[in-house]
Amino acid sequence: MLALEDVTFAYAGSNPYCFSMTAEAGTVTAIRGASGAGKSTLLDLVAGFLAPASGVVRIGGQDVTALPPERRPVSILFQSETLFEHLSAARNVALGLPRPDAARVEAALAEVGLADLGPQRAATLSGGQKQRVALARTLLRDRPVLLLDEPFSALDDDTRATTRTLVRDLTLKHRWATVLVTHHADDIAAIADRVYVLQGGTLRAQP
Amino acid sequence: MPRSADATLPHRPLRLAGGAAIALAIAALIGTLFWAILHAAAGQAATGPGVDLGDLIYITTLQAVLSTGLSLLAGVALAWALNRLRFHGRGLLIGLFASAIVTPGLVVAFGLLSVWGRAGWLGFAGVPIFGLGGVVAAHVLLDGAFAARILLARLDAIPAARLKTGQSLGLTPWTRFAVIDWPALRGTLPGLAAIIFLLAFTSFPIVLLLGGGPAVQTLEIAIYSAVRLDFNLGLAVQLALIQIALCAVIILASAALAPISASLDRPAEPRWRDAGWARAAQWLVLALALFGFASPLLATLLDGIAGLDSVLAQPAFWNAVWTSLWIGAVSALLTLALALLIATGRAAASSRLARVLLGAPAYAYLAVPAVTLSLGAFILVRDLGIGPVVAAPAVVVIANALLSLPFAMATLAPPVEAIARSRGRLIRSLNLGGWRQFAEIEWPLLARDAGLVVALGFCFSLGDLGVIALFGTQDFTTLPLLMVRALGAYRTHDAASIAALMLVLTIAAFVLLPRLIGRLADART
Repeated sequence: MLALEDVTFAYAGSNPYCFSMTAEAGTVTAIRGASGAGKSTLLDLVAGFLAPASGVVRIGGQDVTALPPERRPVSILFQSETLFEHLSAARNVALGLPRPDAARVEAALAEVGLADLGPQRAATLSGGQKQRVALARTLLRDRPVLLLDEPFSALDDDTRATTRTLVRDLTLKHRWATVLVTHHADDIAAIADRVYVLQGGTLRAQP
Repeated sequence: MPRSADATLPHRPLRLAGGAAIALAIAALIGTLFWAILHAAAGQAATGPGVDLGDLIYITTLQAVLSTGLSLLAGVALAWALNRLRFHGRGLLIGLFASAIVTPGLVVAFGLLSVWGRAGWLGFAGVPIFGLGGVVAAHVLLDGAFAARILLARLDAIPAARLKTGQSLGLTPWTRFAVIDWPALRGTLPGLAAIIFLLAFTSFPIVLLLGGGPAVQTLEIAIYSAVRLDFNLGLAVQLALIQIALCAVIILASAALAPISASLDRPAEPRWRDAGWARAAQWLVLALALFGFASPLLATLLDGIAGLDSVLAQPAFWNAVWTSLWIGAVSALLTLALALLIATGRAAASSRLARVLLGAPAYAYLAVPAVTLSLGAFILVRDLGIGPVVAAPAVVVIANALLSLPFAMATLAPPVEAIARSRGRLIRSLNLGGWRQFAEIEWPLLARDAGLVVALGFCFSLGDLGVIALFGTQDFTTLPLLMVRALGAYRTHDAASIAALMLVLTIAAFVLLPRLIGRLADART
């Protein structure tokens, strides 16, 4: 489980944010808010890219506030730049492991429905395929929290629907606490178990 | 009136005509100088005594290849260190390395002598500073710092999301470099290598000072020697043609390479620091680079102060200061005017071919090294019956402006084009006239780049030795020429003071001119 307890942060010259929320294992928690509301700031605080001024970030009950990003039990997927485009799909997935393991990479790619695309260069993949490769890497890393920063925004409607379903299925199967940041109501309606609205620098649970 | 095919571009026939006229004038000048060289070659002796062409080409190429390879290696390492490390004064240090592009080669070469020469600070170490090693070392200091500045900009432009993904994956420092940094750098390296190779291939003052005689003689030095020392114009012409041909081959080859483009990506956030051995290596690289680049400049300054009184008392010195300043100022303003006219003319053209044709003459001077350019002018004014003394000021100003033009175009053309593309629709809808478009929209956006162009033009002109070397006289002398004469007369204290003054003037102009012109534009808007 992920919990933010009165986590505050302020950019120089801006009003402070104050975040409190929880995300349960095996569920998708959506964060909704307008552009510039602070959705990505929230994810950066959970992932460790920003350090809070005060408050605590807990994952599985443990305080991870002081841990650097590479040591946090968190995986993150962005709208773009999720893959290193000059590498093959398989090599991108293998970056999730401490040392290369072809069998595990193949299995992860198969689980996201891309068994045959391992040797293909990431640059040649479609938007939906790229997100699936990134999800395969997430499978190998096996971190309990998955952060999704507008991951479906660049996808067409059909791909968007299948990728959403894949995220939902993987979240359930692997018991991830998935946090989805989006401003698309249809994404929320399709897969979110719980919704927070980010407005005026604070989070409010939506009934 | 002919209509632009691109509906987003305002119709600017005057700009097109102005740009075309300047481009044609430059092309005509190149053609005339080329014709003068070819014409002089006919009927002249094919070779001169004691010149081994094969050896000359071999040495010129060897030092350029070594300089290019080592400069790129140093540039990558320094950019890597500067990208990772955060400390007070980092911006100042980056500015210092950026100034390498305008630091006169003569000053760096002299500074290296002050540090590593027999009587230098570290002369006891016995490092051989004359010959191939010294020439390559001076090139690596200047071109490595220049390369680092460009490569650092590529690393700083890596998208934040890519860095966050890498950091979240816990990539090791080596994997980070291989997977994230290298792809950002490698596209820039071939074009950068071509530029550094050309700079080293046509290097004049550094080889003149550190070459150590015929053992390390390059084409540029051989041309100068043939004209000024041996009075063998036939040999000079032959060497100039060989050099133009070789430079043209390099430029044509580099034209096929990826250009050094500006990145519009969101800048990366500097929060991912490497740990352990990588961090230690970064500090070591930074310390070595700082010592290598700053120590010759510091030595030049300190040695220069010692002999300042004697130099300040010489009328010839003040004469050279005045000549350098006015030539630098006029050349810089001429460079800016030419670059603006060509760039705005190019941006007003709707077809790609027209843009290429308008820009090509400005870049053609990369193929004509300074000494060759001034040789053509030297022959031309002689054939026209004009005394070199009479023609010298105009020739030096024009030649220096044209030598700075490729760099000015590289600075100004992309933003001018970007303004035309991004704001063209709005300018058309407001029906703004050409002058209002320039004064109210373009100039405020271009002022800082224009300031950089003026600074580049001034500094290149201030440090130039290639053009003035053929046209200089006792009465028409610039600071670099006065410094070489002082060295030739074994007045090293005088030379040190002149070098120090050139360094101060260069850095002051490079730092202050862009800010001054930027502020003037800000105050106006």
